Amino acid sequence: MVLELQKPRPIWQIMFSTHHTDVGLLYLILSIGFLFLGGALALIIRAELFLPGAQIIGDAMTFNRIFTVHGTTLIFLFILPFASSVGNYFVPIMIRYKDMAYPKLNALAFWMIPPGGALIWLGFADFSWYANPPYSIISAPGPAADMWIFGLKILGISSVLGAINFIVTILKCKHPDMSIGQVPLLAWSFLSSSLIILVAIPTFAAALLMLLTDRLGVTGFFNPAMGGDPIAYAHLFWFTFHPEVYVLVIPAIGMMYEIIPRFSRKPIHSYNSGIFAFVLLSIVGFSSWAHHMYATGMSFTEKTVFMVGTLAAVPASALHVFNFVATMWNGRIKFSTPMMWAVGGIALFFSAGAGGVANAAMPLDFTTHDTYWVVGHFHLFVMGTIAFGSFGFMYYMYPYVTGRMYNEALGKIHFIMSFIGTILVFFTQHVLGLYGMPRRVFDYPPIPEWIAMNQIASIGAMIIGVSMVIFLANIIHSAGKGKLADTDDPFGVGGKYYYPFEARNPSH
Amino acid sequence: MKSIIGLFLVLAVLVIVPAVDLAFAAGDEPGEYLDRRVIIWNLFFRMMTIAFVVGAVVSGTIIWQVWRFRESHPKAKPTPYEGTDW
Amino acid sequence: MVKLSGHSNWPEWIYVGVVIALMCWVGAEAWEAERLVEHVPADVEIIKVVGQQWFWTFEHEDGTKEIGELHVEAGKAYKFEIHSTDVIHSFNIHDYVVLMDAVPGRVNTVWFAPDQPGTHDIQCREYCGLIHYNMRGTLIVEEPTH
Repeated sequence: MVLELQKPRPIWQIMFSTHHTDVGLLYLILSIGFLFLGGALALIIRAELFLPGAQIIGDAMTFNRIFTVHGTTLIFLFILPFASSVGNYFVPIMIRYKDMAYPKLNALAFWMIPPGGALIWLGFADFSWYANPPYSIISAPGPAADMWIFGLKILGISSVLGAINFIVTILKCKHPDMSIGQVPLLAWSFLSSSLIILVAIPTFAAALLMLLTDRLGVTGFFNPAMGGDPIAYAHLFWFTFHPEVYVLVIPAIGMMYEIIPRFSRKPIHSYNSGIFAFVLLSIVGFSSWAHHMYATGMSFTEKTVFMVGTLAAVPASALHVFNFVATMWNGRIKFSTPMMWAVGGIALFFSAGAGGVANAAMPLDFTTHDTYWVVGHFHLFVMGTIAFGSFGFMYYMYPYVTGRMYNEALGKIHFIMSFIGTILVFFTQHVLGLYGMPRRVFDYPPIPEWIAMNQIASIGAMIIGVSMVIFLANIIHSAGKGKLADTDDPFGVGGKYYYPFEARNPSH
Repeated sequence: MKSIIGLFLVLAVLVIVPAVDLAFAAGDEPGEYLDRRVIIWNLFFRMMTIAFVVGAVVSGTIIWQVWRFRESHPKAKPTPYEGTDW
Repeated sequence: MVKLSGHSNWPEWIYVGVVIALMCWVGAEAWEAERLVEHVPADVEIIKVVGQQWFWTFEHEDGTKEIGELHVEAGKAYKFEIHSTDVIHSFNIHDYVVLMDAVPGRVNTVWFAPDQPGTHDIQCREYCGLIHYNMRGTLIVEEPTH
């Protein structure tokens, strides 16, 4: 149990620890740190786009660097480490083992993230998180691009090591009395997302190496001037990163599976359909990658195949929504902060999914591809669903991590402002995309509709920004001054929690 | 179970058959200047109609149950699991 | 197992059935629309489009070249053959829902038939570097000459 603030111990003892709660704490602090760094970049982007013309950033190059690092940071340095943090804290407890299967590997996987993040931030590359060749080969400047490639390489290895650890922990270290069909859904979500990582990431790792040698001029895999094909990179990239979307979303859904039954005071409606949907999603997720590439000149047949593959993922996601709704039905729901985030996340999950279906329909790509529609769509997923689930879980695990309660009123204000802000920013961006505004632009012509919608989006972003400041103040202040949590039942909802003080940290 | 099969049959007749029919019936003559704006935006608005209807049902359900099953609702009653170690 | 269903599951089956039926509908409709818009008329005029950092060049069938501006006639059908000389761009006339990537080493095609005289924006929709935001052009649809 990590109660550093009540029973201080030297920082190096946490940093060099291999205990799962210590590694989980390190992941947690790192992910919250990068959340604020990446979020600050988002606010700069929105401030710049508030009006046409240059506002606060002098030149397009800086802007391009900012949106590149914004995306890379929030995906690889906020969402993934936060999921790992939750996994580290909870998976060993849920499967009743003393630690992760490979504690040293666990610490190693964590300590690869800071150098990876440092490379990305010190380099500040400009070719967008997609790094599409041949731009990234022949045009992207200097050490920045190479640093990004190495940074992502390190983060990819870290993900794979973490995934191996989770898979072995869950399959091999679970308590002998426990069958795999009794492992809680949150742990199941880590099992399925780790399996996806293991299959998907090596492809991108290979693509990154090829990109690097292409940049060095040694090879021409993706460089048409040397006989290569940039579309090959797109296939390799999306073969990793479409499944990666499910890697991001599945743990968030697992977190909701922990929160929603707890606060509804009922067990989950159908444990089996939750497992079924996780497994189905992690298989079907591999059949849809090229729907990102309809406009690259694919044949009608290819497009049809990938449209069908994409639509096939929808029923699996829909099962989760059904499960959540059915769980809340006839419950006695206590709307503490974690529950509010989880329910808000489900509501936005539907909108994001419906937008995804529209994206999958091939002809609509002509209207929406690479416009702000797409930006609105995937942000609705990563912010509206994944980050909402994650924030809910941050509040849920807060008493576990600090032994104190956060301020409930501030937590609710954080949720309400973020919810309003998310709707303002990302729903507006959908409409903006339908008006044709391309993504990744530093400036735009003064078309009245574009200006109006950009301003609504920017105001929404500032609301989210303010709510995040409230969040930060809340967690920092409450960690020292909050009232002590009732460790058996911090939320007063009864039942058997997975977490209270079962994990014994040898340092305490 | 029978009613479910019946439901699927009705859905198949209502949705799939006309769509397949339409697909193989029209637009094969060369030289026809189709307006892609009309086709694509029509498709878009048809899908949005369905999406918003389904969205209204889903979010309506969620909003209703959030209101009805909150613990402060006058008719809220303890679930069978409360007090147990579920 | 955790509580093997003490509840009945038929609502879930109906729900999944409805979702699958909706997805079939979306797929069929999209397939049909895509088939229609990919159906190129026999008498299209070909325009060669070249994207490069950071402007568009057009070459008509009769050899006329234009930079940044494209003149076409209402009532005719045109097919764009889209090239790129450096990095990936995306040729986009949003008002006519025309979009196709310009990929170096490939020729992608897309066709449209403007119906009314007017002026429309041409833009690049795939991130292509420093002045991507201003890689814009103008489509001018003129009265038919005959």
